[in-house]
Amino acid sequence: MTCDAVRKLIPLYYYGELTPEEEDQAEAHVHECAACARQMEAARTLAGALDRRRMEAPASLLADCRADLAAAVRGAAVEPAWRLWLAAAGATLAGFTRWSQPLGAAALIAIGFFAARLVPAGLGVSSASLAPSEGVFVNVRSAQPDSSGRVRIAYDETTRREVFGPIDKPEIQKLLLVAAQEEDDPGVRVESVGLLKERAGSDEVRDALMNALLHDSNPGVRLKALEGLKPLAAKPPVRLALSQALQFDDNDAVRMQAVDLLTARRDEAMVGVLQNLVQKEDNSYVRLKCEKALKEMNASIGTF
Amino acid sequence: MQDAAGTAGARVSPEVDSLVRAAQRGDQDAFEQLVRAYDQSVLRLAMNLLRSPEDARDVYQEAFLRVYRNLHSFRFDCSFHTWLYRIVTNICLDQLRKRKVRKEEPAVVETSEGALDRTEGFEEESAAANPERVTWNRQLGQRIDDALEELTPRERMVFELRHYQGLRLRNIGEILGTSEEAAKNCFFRATQKMRTLLGDLV
Repeated sequence: MTCDAVRKLIPLYYYGELTPEEEDQAEAHVHECAACARQMEAARTLAGALDRRRMEAPASLLADCRADLAAAVRGAAVEPAWRLWLAAAGATLAGFTRWSQPLGAAALIAIGFFAARLVPAGLGVSSASLAPSEGVFVNVRSAQPDSSGRVRIAYDETTRREVFGPIDKPEIQKLLLVAAQEEDDPGVRVESVGLLKERAGSDEVRDALMNALLHDSNPGVRLKALEGLKPLAAKPPVRLALSQALQFDDNDAVRMQAVDLLTARRDEAMVGVLQNLVQKEDNSYVRLKCEKALKEMNASIGTF
Repeated sequence: MQDAAGTAGARVSPEVDSLVRAAQRGDQDAFEQLVRAYDQSVLRLAMNLLRSPEDARDVYQEAFLRVYRNLHSFRFDCSFHTWLYRIVTNICLDQLRKRKVRKEEPAVVETSEGALDRTEGFEEESAAANPERVTWNRQLGQRIDDALEELTPRERMVFELRHYQGLRLRNIGEILGTSEEAAKNCFFRATQKMRTLLGDLV
């Protein structure tokens, strides 16, 4: 082995990172070569000097860190983000119960249908669409027997259609924008906002995301909207929406995300909002982030 | 893939796995135990890399909050230690890169125990015993700090994890999302730079 080759191995030798064969070769060479032996000694001395530069965190700092974290987690534990996602997933499942209603209605129709079949032949029934076909959902509005033993049923019919297509297709996007505001079903809203967030470049989608962030009643939807707005966090209207969410959202996870996005870049216009939050924010993570951002901008922490 | 050699043995333990699973189910006590099992080494890493209690405190908070928020997505594809260190090293690397851009660092920082001079971390014998040695140590400490500053953030990280945290280079590669070979090369470059910059001291 040449001296050059051995010198490349010396630091790794010192840290025990050589293969046994490399180690043998290096040792054999150093045993014979005084210059390389000096290099080996120098590596040891350097490591010793570096060891003395080791910095230990003061115990008080560890205690402070643990207290900060406990407070932030307590704040978030009211509704930790991952539970929100679970809740959102649950809501998606709950969405399916909507479909169970029409199924129940279909069962009712079936009863009516068999009842109708029980009436003497010849009286017949007046509607041809009693048994709903696949993909058609019915919602029964009223079911009343009459004195002749027949049943009068009024129902609405909903037809399910499926549309496939790339997310860029205007028709798909339009449907997603409608779905993002689906009143009854947070599961559908979470999914739609989740899909739309990939396309936040378009003004329409961006507006839908900001709308979801500020007005959706479900925190899972609001968190998805925040994710979508992340790449746009420098744009003034988005910053305004983020600052609204930071100040007024009642969910800790949403405010924690909002403060991360807002303070990721220096923005003197935010000083007032941040100072205000330092005073009134309960969540210590959000408060610390605000304090830090203010310090970085050399702004005072409090308002005087 | 992982094995005991790559992840420093004791760090892959069934107890940790069961704590992780309990925390994933929402058990706050398990989460706290998990934090306490690792937080000293996380804080030490941040403190050594950033040389600032304030920044180390930020790293600690951000890292463990990320763990808290994302623990449900941890699938045991690697050890929890590796997963945690991926988060911590990412945050620290971001900080180091930002620092490379702005180099204004006050030497004294405030902690709850009052002001702390960041240049005083170096172990020293008492001044009364040997004032010359203390001065020399101080100089050496400063020289080492300056030399460490000359490393790229990645070299600094690999060096820190190997020298001060005692992790194997294979594990370091896994944490930093690279091969053992690449981690070795990076470590070699770091030691060469240190030798060049500090050669006259050793």
